[in-house]
Amino acid sequence: MTEAVQNVSQPQIQVENLNLWYGEKQALKNVSMQIPKNSITALIGPSGCGKSTFIRCLNRMNDLIKDCRIEGRVLTEGKDIYGPNIDVVDLRKKVGMVFQKPNPFPMSIYDNVAYGPRIHGANRKDLDGIVEQALRSAAIWNEISDRLKSPALSLSGGQQQRLCIARTLAVKPKIILFDEPTSALDPISTSRIEDLIINLKKDYTIVIVTHNMQQAARISDYTGFFLMGELIEFGQTRQIFQNPREKSTEDYITGRFG
Amino acid sequence: MLSRNYREKTIEWALFLVSALTVVILLLICLFLFRDGLLLFKDTSLMDFLTGKFWYPTSINRQFGLLPLFFGSLIVTAGAILFAVPLGIASAIYISEIADPKVADFLKPFIEILAGVPSVVFGFFGLVVLVPIIQHSFNLPTGQTALTGSIMLGIMALPTIITISEDAISSVPSTLEQGSLALGATKWQTIYRVVVPAALSGISAGVMLGIGRAIGETMTLMMVTGNTAVIPSFPGGFLAPVRTMTATIALEMGEVPQGSTHFHALFAVGSVLFIITLLVNLIADSIKKRYKFKVD
Repeated sequence: MTEAVQNVSQPQIQVENLNLWYGEKQALKNVSMQIPKNSITALIGPSGCGKSTFIRCLNRMNDLIKDCRIEGRVLTEGKDIYGPNIDVVDLRKKVGMVFQKPNPFPMSIYDNVAYGPRIHGANRKDLDGIVEQALRSAAIWNEISDRLKSPALSLSGGQQQRLCIARTLAVKPKIILFDEPTSALDPISTSRIEDLIINLKKDYTIVIVTHNMQQAARISDYTGFFLMGELIEFGQTRQIFQNPREKSTEDYITGRFG
Repeated sequence: MLSRNYREKTIEWALFLVSALTVVILLLICLFLFRDGLLLFKDTSLMDFLTGKFWYPTSINRQFGLLPLFFGSLIVTAGAILFAVPLGIASAIYISEIADPKVADFLKPFIEILAGVPSVVFGFFGLVVLVPIIQHSFNLPTGQTALTGSIMLGIMALPTIITISEDAISSVPSTLEQGSLALGATKWQTIYRVVVPAALSGISAGVMLGIGRAIGETMTLMMVTGNTAVIPSFPGGFLAPVRTMTATIALEMGEVPQGSTHFHALFAVGSVLFIITLLVNLIADSIKKRYKFKVD
């Protein structure tokens, strides 16, 4: 589908009746969701509610899990990513992911960021520019520009996570998935990453799983509340937090369980 | 109460003595090996021994030159490394990353059994099967060559290399793999650009230990390498008979008068061998310690 045909209001990600089983156990039940372009969507809910499973459906990371069965459709740019003609490698180029624990590769800072462009055949002489651009966008360039050759594992946890974000940006995705990106970080690193995510919104569509409800309230435009594999409620963040329609959403947000 | 305490202490001491025994035995081995080896230098200079090109222990004009034996061991071991390292690493990658867990569980016991086959059986197999094959395929006067020894030694070093490399590869955190896949890397790109480099020091440790085993191997080599003590040429030497340090000791020790110069020469060869294996093991150990993954 070309850009011209795309409707402006068409959601970046459209999930229709998504069901997922790990073996016999159903982990997602009939989830449907429309995620608008250039927005931040937060997914909240208690542990084991399926929010991480859900986000991993969006770049097909669940493919790695044996006995995982998926039904339903996930459309980006009008194409079903579980359709027959989808190249998973292409999909993951468009849909980047940042993980819960910073996972830089045991190589230099530079090589970490250059990793994606290199495997996708970037021109050698463009690499320096791509790396610098990605590190700048991830708000870490100023801290490390003088030691690009040092090992990534020598950075602090928060820096490592921003490096991982830079690594993802270097591939030039359209969508970035964050799977609890700050749960292993201290409050200062957390707030820097939150600022960064808000900044990234203008260029990317962002989906973030978080355990931290204040975080969801602070940074997201839309919020989805998951419980026992079901999407209980989805809507504008302000509405979800101030005026939830469902009783269980309200109970969770006000801390009555979870 | 007192007697119970007394019993506990006795057991502790008994266990300590048993474990200390290993150290004592090792020290005694060193002591006797080096003492008898050093006695060689009453009759031959250290330089003549280390740089001598001829090993003629029984001729009238006898010479105890280490080089033919040293290079014999070297060429066989080098060949074994060339053969076993790529094969071992490839198998380790297959078992830990690619194979279905069921297939991996099926394969692993065979590798362990391979490690348990006595070396004389390997030697017999080499002699009966591999020697004629080498002889005919290269049209040689004899199939007992350095190459034959290398292949047999390679096979024997494989289990060590595979097991330790596989361990190293499996211990690479899966979050790294996921990170790579999430960037759009293929499985294979992930393996050779992230997983194997991350496991490299563990893999090197496995290789070093495999080499350690190869250098010390005796029986198999005695049976398949022809045992001619000449300095092998390179690379043609692969297709000629050689004699290793280990085979020399095993072949000649039974026939030398105790206390003779020849007797001490064999001990000197043994000392050299001991030092080499010790170094290889120390290197393997230091690599292994360094690689302890520091993600956490």
